[in-house]
Amino acid sequence: MKLNTHMRVTRISNEVWEIAPSEKPGMLVPARIYATPAILESMDSGVFEQVTNVACLPGIRRYALCMPDGHWGYGFPIGGVAAFDVRSGIISPGGVGYDINCGMRLIRTDLSHEDVKPRLEQLMTELFRRVPAGVGASGFVRLDRSSFEQVMINGARWCIEQGFGWHRDLECIEEGGCIAGTDPSKVSDHAVSRGINQLGTLGSGNHYLEVQVAASDRVFDKDIAAAWGITGHDQIVVMVHCGSRGFGHQVASDYLKVFEKAMRGYGISVKDQQLACAPFQSVEGQDYFAAMNCAANTAFANRQVITHQIREAFSSVFGLSAEEMGMELVYDVAHNIAKVERYPEGELVVHRKGATRALGPGSADLTPRYRATGQPVICGGSMETGSYLLVGTEGAMRETFASTMHGAGRTMSRAQAKKTIRGDQVQRQMKQHGILVKAVSLSGLAEEAGFAYKAISEVVDSVDRAGITKTVAELRPIGNIKG
Amino acid sequence: MASTFQFLDDIAVADLAFEASGGSIQEVFQGATNAVIESLANPDTIGATWQQAVGREDEDPAALLFDWLSDLVYWKDAAGVVFSKADVRLTQHAAGVWKLNARLYGEPVNGSTQELRADVKGVTKHLYRLARDGERWTARVILDV
Repeated sequence: MKLNTHMRVTRISNEVWEIAPSEKPGMLVPARIYATPAILESMDSGVFEQVTNVACLPGIRRYALCMPDGHWGYGFPIGGVAAFDVRSGIISPGGVGYDINCGMRLIRTDLSHEDVKPRLEQLMTELFRRVPAGVGASGFVRLDRSSFEQVMINGARWCIEQGFGWHRDLECIEEGGCIAGTDPSKVSDHAVSRGINQLGTLGSGNHYLEVQVAASDRVFDKDIAAAWGITGHDQIVVMVHCGSRGFGHQVASDYLKVFEKAMRGYGISVKDQQLACAPFQSVEGQDYFAAMNCAANTAFANRQVITHQIREAFSSVFGLSAEEMGMELVYDVAHNIAKVERYPEGELVVHRKGATRALGPGSADLTPRYRATGQPVICGGSMETGSYLLVGTEGAMRETFASTMHGAGRTMSRAQAKKTIRGDQVQRQMKQHGILVKAVSLSGLAEEAGFAYKAISEVVDSVDRAGITKTVAELRPIGNIKG
Repeated sequence: MASTFQFLDDIAVADLAFEASGGSIQEVFQGATNAVIESLANPDTIGATWQQAVGREDEDPAALLFDWLSDLVYWKDAAGVVFSKADVRLTQHAAGVWKLNARLYGEPVNGSTQELRADVKGVTKHLYRLARDGERWTARVILDV
């Protein structure tokens, strides 16, 4: 195998690869990469450098991990997972990502492709109108500082209180859509100014809202799918990918600066400036954790407001209430976050950056609704190739701090993609393939062309064969909204 | 030598990287500013009904450039605008302090009349560099989108 690293990579199994601590000075634990041989060979050199840099951070336990959708990121690789002891370990904004609680949400419906096809153009136009996307977009929810602080504290719960959703939605969101341990006083005025008008907006880049089809022959575990309301028969579902927008980014940027200075005082040195960190129990560490939780709740609220708008759009196009169309949440899951979780080693600060929590059946951390099946894991592919619904496993809880992949992972830069194809060509090609795209920016659309991403089916196959999630269903896009 | 910039293909797979250059520190600041403005929207399609003065100072010109480019991202979200241009003036004061005085021009986002591009979320320090080589200044910046 020819890999993009000079370090020795040892095969643990066909889907698990290890770099020993002897390969880089300062590594405290081995690094493990989950990938098929073909995916491992395609990984950029940043993955190997960055996952081994993470293995050097104080208080890390067991392994520094990277999932098969991994690629170069800021500090941690995208697809990175690392757990640190709550007493002796650190917390790092680079291990969470700039877009705090970027995540995925899936909404089911009772509609079929046949029901939607004649009105797809109208539906996508209505969704595009109701869910602002792209640069500088602001949402319809008007907040003052005090009410924005309530969003930071209460997350999706605040939305339900305001009428933007149903009480039962909260059962279907990681942490009930409201993470404890927030403190809005730890958030800067700059962050508030950036975020206060962005609730209910999609953003740009790889964020999207997609109308998809679950075909019967692409539902692989019918019992679990049925338990979550996925019945196949060309069923229409809606997937949302977005996060905490400018607010979360400002929180991350603010604390990276704080940590750069604080590290010196704590005698911590890191291999990459973007791994800036502080002891979890330090004042700086706790302040960031509180501010990060504010941003995480804001992201849950953002996806909840978007869900409300999706339900309104469907209602106005099909003349039925959202309840009549069975528009229930399947799940909402974060893939950029740090959380305190309990493992055999004790309480750990688990960082997931471009990685999804994947609790298996029986987990006490799951609500009764999901305890028998395990947790739904929503993985977005490129806008041309489709997405997947997976389920968490005991294997993930045992091996990967209950973590798995989050998406396809890029293989081509945005600049290169734009040189390869124009946005209007992508739009035309997708229409020929039965996918209607509404985009704020045509150049942004070119950047997101399917060929710029890994084949998600192979990434999903990696985690399935590794036993850290099982595939439940593949979801095929028919309509996409991009910023 | 005038200020210029070019986007880089192979540095940041998921984000936008650019290199700006100029014959003076002022020119490289202007080039980097123009690169951020062009990342957000085509400035030829943006009016100038909104203006904002920004003043900053720092002993470290690299830190000053980083904070100034972050200001552009901040005003984009806080004021809900995209930019047509920015006039940047840089002076060095006694004790080596660099002072930036800039005026930003733009207008509220309006997708029906403007050619919008990427919603830049922030300026990163990954591979970030401001350097002088003889008479030539260069800055390399990666924007998170």
